[in-house]
Amino acid sequence: MGTQSQRLDRRAFLRFITTVPILGATAAFLSPLLRLLKPNVKPFEVLYSPTAQDIPLGEVAVAASVSELAKPWDFRYFVFTQKYPQYTPTGLRQASVPGVVLRLPQKIKLPWDWASSIGKPQFVGQESDIIVFSRICPHLGCIYNFVSEWKEVQAGYGGYTPPDNRKHALMACPCHLSIYDPADPTQPGRVLSGPAPRPPRTFLYEIRGKEIVVTDVEPGGIA
Amino acid sequence: MGVADWIRERKEHLDLFDETKTQYQYNPLYLLGPMLYYFYMITVVSGVILMLWYEPTTTGAYDSIVRISREIGRVTIGGLVLPLGSLVRSVHKYAADAVFVCFILRIYRMYFAGEYKRPGELGWMIFFLGLVLTMISGVTGYLLIWNQRAFWAAKTILTVPVYLDELTAWIPQIGQNLTFGSMIAYIFLGGPAIGQATITRFYSLHFGISIILLLLMEIYVYRTRRERLKMSWFPLVLFFVMVLVVSWILPAEMGRRADPNRTPLPILSDWYFLALYQYVKYTPPLWAGLGPGLLIGVGMLVPFLDRSKSRHPLDRPLFFVLGLLALFYFLAFTTLIMWNIAQIEREPPIVLLVTIPVMGAAFVWHLWRRWRQGRAAPSPPAAPPPRPREAQPAETP
Repeated sequence: MGTQSQRLDRRAFLRFITTVPILGATAAFLSPLLRLLKPNVKPFEVLYSPTAQDIPLGEVAVAASVSELAKPWDFRYFVFTQKYPQYTPTGLRQASVPGVVLRLPQKIKLPWDWASSIGKPQFVGQESDIIVFSRICPHLGCIYNFVSEWKEVQAGYGGYTPPDNRKHALMACPCHLSIYDPADPTQPGRVLSGPAPRPPRTFLYEIRGKEIVVTDVEPGGIA
Repeated sequence: MGVADWIRERKEHLDLFDETKTQYQYNPLYLLGPMLYYFYMITVVSGVILMLWYEPTTTGAYDSIVRISREIGRVTIGGLVLPLGSLVRSVHKYAADAVFVCFILRIYRMYFAGEYKRPGELGWMIFFLGLVLTMISGVTGYLLIWNQRAFWAAKTILTVPVYLDELTAWIPQIGQNLTFGSMIAYIFLGGPAIGQATITRFYSLHFGISIILLLLMEIYVYRTRRERLKMSWFPLVLFFVMVLVVSWILPAEMGRRADPNRTPLPILSDWYFLALYQYVKYTPPLWAGLGPGLLIGVGMLVPFLDRSKSRHPLDRPLFFVLGLLALFYFLAFTTLIMWNIAQIEREPPIVLLVTIPVMGAAFVWHLWRRWRQGRAAPSPPAAPPPRPREAQPAETP
């Protein structure tokens, strides 16, 4: 009886010992399989930072000239190009981030606290009446519109009526009807209605001569 | 009882396409098995014909669909112009829609008639998983057209997993880097944006899902010796003519070429996704992923959650009301999105105000019913119902 239980114990012990190389072999097998699906992940990186290699690179672009934004609520659409890694034999791909630059009726503190995270702390705390938003909706990544008339928002985007102090131009997304206030003094791009979790991302810009030049977009995911 | 025995018993009673063992031979809802197989075959065959002409590239996809619809196989027979390419494309679309209708009707039938109860658990789970896979096949096939609607549908659906990062971000220290949700999205998209890699991957998935399902079906038929198309020739011809007539009258639409810099208003999708779209408007984006995930999880586990013995819907009020409510919301949300109505301040509270009392009442009803059953029969017979099912009308959704 004693010997039998001892034998079983030994068997259980050996079984336990063999699971370690089996688990290791499975991991060694799964790792290249994952890289078959996602070629730009390094061997162990998937364990601690699986999307580190997917950060896009932006290119400096001219958004508008200052004279185009003479009056409050004047706006202009522009396109900012970024290079994304793409999992094809040809590799990198250009993708565009549509943006909108607009003049607000009053000066506000720009939401540029993120600038220090990309090594440009001199931008933090600036005030201006020109603001540049990325038009990628922070909800699920559609392209939202700048709508000059709030009544158009009410008619076309689900029937939202803004309170009296926000009855001006708004930004609204066609996909899931998120509505943003670009001129909110404490949080520009504040979500007024809809499922969006936060305001749209912003661009850093400089005024070089007569042009508004966009240099960086707030880093983050695809939406 | 071990897992192997459990599976063996369920496999013996599995009827995927051949439902001639039931009593309801005159009920058309028990023709859904062979109909599903039939429409599936039409979809596969028409899809293979389309592959001859389709070009899976971002620049050529839309143009190749335009060519298929307008030029390919245009024959003139005695003055009558027959656009065969357009017809094949429309047949592919409508037969796939018919597969969906069969799946949905079958799942509702199984739900309300209690067919997921022992020994039907495995059949229910297979059909539920089949519906999910067919929906994935629908999304991936849809993008191949490369029009505005398809582009933005793919974009929004594949941004949903990104929000799973919010869950891993709760882990202290390393959480910010554990972007597994984004990784899932990037693997499907082939990178952080929709592009050539996306269309290649979607083409492969769209084709791959159908082929793998087809293989599994054939293995099942080979192993069980069940029949696939146990149906007389008359309905077979009738259904094919129906698909042809619909394709002739309402050819599959083209839409506008995909434009990554402009989202159209309103944005819609295929009819079976509309209710989900409306739901996505109401919830925070993390729940846009967790909600459907929960729905699929609960759906798969329904046979194990519903412990009541009887198959009659009124003997299990909680599940009966839940099914009715799901059907009601499917229809109501679809109607709302067709009218482009969504106000996040107004409608989600109404949804909660309807759901909570109705489910609460159903729960009380359920308890009361169980209590009364317990009093009427102190020792209920635990035997499973005999194979020819108890006579009861099948609930139609």
